Amino acid sequence: MWGMTMSVENQTFAEKFDLLGCIQCGRCTGGCPVTVRTKLNPRRFVYDSYNEDLLDELSRLPEIWDCSGCHTCAVRCPKGLKPVEVLFGLRNMLVESGKVEPTVRDALESTFLEGNPWSKPRATRFDWMEGLDVKTAEQGQKVENLFFTCCTIAYDPRVQAVAQNMVKAMNSAGVDYAFLGEEESCCASEIMALGELELFNELAEENTELFNGYAAKRIVTLSPHCLTAIKKYEGLNAEVIHYSQLLAELIEQGSINFSGELNEKVVYHDPCFLGKQNGVFDEPRTILKGMPGVELVEFTRSREKSLCCEGGGGKMWAETESKEERLAEKRIKNAKELSASVVAVACPFCVLTLEDAIKALGYEEEMRVAEIMELVGELL
Amino acid sequence: MKTFVCIKYVPDTSEAEIKVDETGQAVDSSRFSFDINDADNYAVEESVQIKEKQEGTVTVVSMGPQESDVMIRMALAKGGDNAMRIEDSRINTTDPLCVAKVLAGALKDKEFDLIMTGCMASDDGHMSTGVALAEELGVPHASMVKDVEVVDEKKVKVSRELEGGLMEVVEMELPAVLTIQTGINEPRYAPIRGIRQAQKKELNVLSLDDLGISPDEVGESASQIVLNKLYVPEVVSAAEFIEGEPEEKAEKLASILVKGGHV
Repeated sequence: MWGMTMSVENQTFAEKFDLLGCIQCGRCTGGCPVTVRTKLNPRRFVYDSYNEDLLDELSRLPEIWDCSGCHTCAVRCPKGLKPVEVLFGLRNMLVESGKVEPTVRDALESTFLEGNPWSKPRATRFDWMEGLDVKTAEQGQKVENLFFTCCTIAYDPRVQAVAQNMVKAMNSAGVDYAFLGEEESCCASEIMALGELELFNELAEENTELFNGYAAKRIVTLSPHCLTAIKKYEGLNAEVIHYSQLLAELIEQGSINFSGELNEKVVYHDPCFLGKQNGVFDEPRTILKGMPGVELVEFTRSREKSLCCEGGGGKMWAETESKEERLAEKRIKNAKELSASVVAVACPFCVLTLEDAIKALGYEEEMRVAEIMELVGELL
Repeated sequence: MKTFVCIKYVPDTSEAEIKVDETGQAVDSSRFSFDINDADNYAVEESVQIKEKQEGTVTVVSMGPQESDVMIRMALAKGGDNAMRIEDSRINTTDPLCVAKVLAGALKDKEFDLIMTGCMASDDGHMSTGVALAEELGVPHASMVKDVEVVDEKKVKVSRELEGGLMEVVEMELPAVLTIQTGINEPRYAPIRGIRQAQKKELNVLSLDDLGISPDEVGESASQIVLNKLYVPEVVSAAEFIEGEPEEKAEKLASILVKGGHV
């Protein structure tokens, strides 16, 4: 894994990312979704980064910040290389020099000081729990499902319902669960993408120790970004899953009973961090199909070919200069062609980017974006 | 160029709900995050940029609790060489004059060319400490500085931001105190690797006794400010929209002011 291999200080950049393994076939650039709207060319970066003398100059090119970390390049590479990590490695060089955009700087500083990239106080992280009957974890006490909330879901009122409805679902299903308390800190998924490797390593170490202190059988993440990051931690004594995996299991067992009907035509958008990066494609669909009144339709580009919404890879804090149509807008237009009334997602970043796209296109009256847990909440 | 940069650890109150604690004399800060005062962050960057161009040293100075060490380490990671933190419960920190006296006491025997502070602290908003510090040290000062050009070892040319967006350009003899306005530069990020390395840099924690300052000079008894009470202004709904032609509006307004005894 990149985080740990980068700590081998004596390796050259080319060795760290196995650049000599590249055969310049171009499948990375060919599949990269953002190349249609930006200058980013992953193949070029893999090729040029072999020259150590060029690295400094490459790290200053604005297009390294266009990558949304979707990992299509890594999925498509026939040699098993990860061009996305070459770009993160270049970002790391810039971060080490301190000369990053103010938005990136503020996200990193806030994560270092307050444990979240949203410049929010640690003390208000669990305000979303107010008024809810939530079980919180206690050190040493055995729990089967330990929930990791995620900074964005904890602080952004737009997506707090994901956690709140999860509490209601777990309580009604009688599951052995607990949420982490104020000790929870950022998973560092986006921190790694923003190139602050040392901070990623520090948080990974602290979080691993924290998780291991709770005798949890598995850690359940609400965001696929947290899922991806936590899976990279070394020395973790628990399985890590996304909530959709747990929920699909509960629905199949009949432990969750929906009441009422949704009566909506729903199209499911595969989040890159859940699908491409973790192979979780079926479980979100199982949940949606289990909801009474849902007519589930599919995008032409679904599952491994899902079109990235551009919300990952630290893009929440690094805006692309391009004025070309955003991929999220393209995605929403596709949803409109399908006459879907709901675009269902299982990722807080996808909610935010796709909802912005709906607003930008003026489609608010015709369709909405909903996190799967929001739909679950409507039927509980 | 020997520079000292004075920084303050302040709560971020931009989005937080402000509540007065039970003493009625302080704000409840239990739900705030704390960080370097915004303007001070620009002062740190400016001092580091001058050091990078002119060579020299940057010493970080702060008055505050142990928790603020993280902020000091971040400033050291950005390019500060060493630091001193003054902590003493006997200092009356609500009075900027007392704070300036303490800082002056810490700096008076040091060799310095420039002292920089932020132009304003975001918590109490006094805009006084830097200016009072210059007075205490008997050196010239410029406030609201938006540009610093080092002319030579003995002189700087600075731009001051005045009302209405005017810029005043002043040449100043060194040593001097500059209070830095935000926007003068783009503060850099302190990478974690740098913060770790900064653990090795010197950070002296000093009390009034260490500085040879009597509590009588900077404590509550020395202060000319008495804090009686803090309160959140009551929200009242008394807005009245005056309609009509300009002459009618003026007449109605004048009548309201006169009848209400406001003029």
